[in-house]
Amino acid sequence: MDGNRLSGEAVQLLFRERRRRRLLAALAAVAVSMSLAACGPATAGPDAGGDAAAKDTLTVGVSLSLTGDFADPGKAAKRGYDLWASDVNERGGVLGRKVVLKIVDDTSNPNQVTTNYTNLITKDKVDLVFGPFSSLLSIPASQVAKRYGYAFLEPAGGGPKVFEQRLDNLFFVQPASIVRQGDIFADYLLKLPADQRPKTAAYAALDDPFAAPLAENLRKRLEAAGIRTVYSETYPDSLTDLTPVIAKVAAGKPDLVVSGTQSEDAYAQVKAMKQLKFSPKWLFMSNGANNPVEFPDKVGSNNVNGIFTTGDWFAGSKQPGAAEFVKAYLAKYGGEETGIDTTSAEAYSVGVLVEQVAKKTGKADNATIVKTLHSGTWTTPIGDLSWDAYGEPQSNYTLVQWQNRRLTPVFPAEVAAVQPLTSKPAWGK
Amino acid sequence: MHTLVQAVILGVLTGGVYALMASGQTLIFGIMRVINLAQGAMVVLSAYLSCTLFTTAGIDPFLTILLLAPLMFLLGVVVHRVFLRPLKAGDGELSLMVMFAVALAVEGVLAATYKTTYRSINATYRDESLELAGYHLSVTRLAAFGLSLAVLGGLWVLLHRTRFGASIRATVQNPTAARLLGVDPDRVSALGFGLGAATAGAAGAVFGLVYPFNSASHYDLIARLLAIVVLGGLGSLGGAVAASILMGVAESVVAATWSPAWASATFFVALLLVLLVRPRGLFGAQLRGAL
Repeated sequence: MDGNRLSGEAVQLLFRERRRRRLLAALAAVAVSMSLAACGPATAGPDAGGDAAAKDTLTVGVSLSLTGDFADPGKAAKRGYDLWASDVNERGGVLGRKVVLKIVDDTSNPNQVTTNYTNLITKDKVDLVFGPFSSLLSIPASQVAKRYGYAFLEPAGGGPKVFEQRLDNLFFVQPASIVRQGDIFADYLLKLPADQRPKTAAYAALDDPFAAPLAENLRKRLEAAGIRTVYSETYPDSLTDLTPVIAKVAAGKPDLVVSGTQSEDAYAQVKAMKQLKFSPKWLFMSNGANNPVEFPDKVGSNNVNGIFTTGDWFAGSKQPGAAEFVKAYLAKYGGEETGIDTTSAEAYSVGVLVEQVAKKTGKADNATIVKTLHSGTWTTPIGDLSWDAYGEPQSNYTLVQWQNRRLTPVFPAEVAAVQPLTSKPAWGK
Repeated sequence: MHTLVQAVILGVLTGGVYALMASGQTLIFGIMRVINLAQGAMVVLSAYLSCTLFTTAGIDPFLTILLLAPLMFLLGVVVHRVFLRPLKAGDGELSLMVMFAVALAVEGVLAATYKTTYRSINATYRDESLELAGYHLSVTRLAAFGLSLAVLGGLWVLLHRTRFGASIRATVQNPTAARLLGVDPDRVSALGFGLGAATAGAAGAVFGLVYPFNSASHYDLIARLLAIVVLGGLGSLGGAVAASILMGVAESVVAATWSPAWASATFFVALLLVLLVRPRGLFGAQLRGAL
């Protein structure tokens, strides 16, 4: 789930650019008022790599954001990849070949990511590549991989534009594309008896390609089921104070509020609701609320209970392989289970998939990986995954809810740890 | 109707926060004719310092102002001494660039020190609110508004009731005559610049309580501050207050009653319309020196 949060951060890069532009516009206004008159890679590489000497190793090239805006999630992804490599080598490697990771830094820069993957493939002649962090970087990287016939498994790049490229070598290693990560909440609501469902709903979403479409998806499904919309608006990133927006939402007295959020705006919505003493019966927030550490820290741990969100990996997950992942992670890096970034689990799952393909087919080359992953369902610590022809995952996220100040899976029943609360406790409870 | 009134209340309180930041900006312009593009960066710098003092030493953000305002005053005097004083008088464009460079330098240092993740000052009372006849008033913003009034009142007293204020106003109206009367324009400029920076110091703590911020937040901030001082009339303290509140109310009312997407844009459109009919802003005098 970090994929979308951080793809959101990718978007923030663009927003920052926009802010600079607004500054220039303001400067122009000053100038007016003061009446200041003065004022591509050409070299082709081998399809799949390795000379004879390298056959007892399987080299995997990765470009990650170890510095720059995505440095934190980039490092989380690195921990996941590193953990898988050391795990699989302990088990004897992939088909007896020791996995060697070659990880290079792209400084969170889309140009650098292109250079990095081109070099990894044509100069270092790595056997496989794994994806970088965020949609912003995965898009150019996946094109390089496609050009050289490499499979492109990526743990964090699930924005609509990733799949619009229609690349058959790409696999987004999460259970659902970002705009579909809220669908499980609609599944849950619509499974309730009609008299227990919310009657009215308000939708307030950040205007970005990840948050707004997610809320829009939910709105369409809930409206079709007869849940009346009393408010539906998107707000720009520049609107840091969401109190006026929430004032309007509260005026409609909705049973349900669906918040299409990224991170800061999720915190701002909670703060505004608290200040306006508005506590809806149901509150679903897409991103921001799914961060086990930051969310309670930013909004206060006594204000999280009852809020719904979604996740793929979370502490205490019952998914096969999840417990082993946690054990290995804590042994290697220490810390606590709740502190493990989902991006680490997603990156780890990329490796797990390669291992499974190798086990099933006896091969670990790019063509086999692409062909094999296109059929069947694959069990990973973050869920059972399958993809359409262009790498969009076809499963669902898990519905989680803050209960007793912890993110707890509540739907579907197979993975639920407890029953969902059907009425959000008041703020501070 | 309830939503509209609530939005106006929110807007006025938000305007108070901006008035605090914009007062320093307009003061510096009034005295020196320097557009201080680093004002936003100074606010963000003080927000970080206040956040650090709060999280490490547990000092209440409002109390950190007592430390930060003098500190930022000193920083302002130093910036003036090192970067602005060597410039020739009236070298407006160059000072603009110099201050922009200072802003970028501050941003760079903050990004390296604190990383680029968003911060906020999470005081326990941050999200508390008072209820008055069915309307909600955020405690933090109410306090910020009060603080803003107090600082602005203090500035007014300083400018109109003290010798130092008289020398500032004299410098603003006629630097040559002021010099003949024994006013040292360099000293006045340095102290004035320090004073402007000190308001940024006071505003930083409040800003950090109300909004999430990172090192790049100053772009958005300075754009708004410039718009406010231009709308209010460059150099006019009262104009800055009026324009701040106008901006706060316009944004809040548009976001609550029409569309959040147009909230920020509305203010900038209003700014352009005002400038078309009144190029010197709402309260700007034709000649400089409307303090």
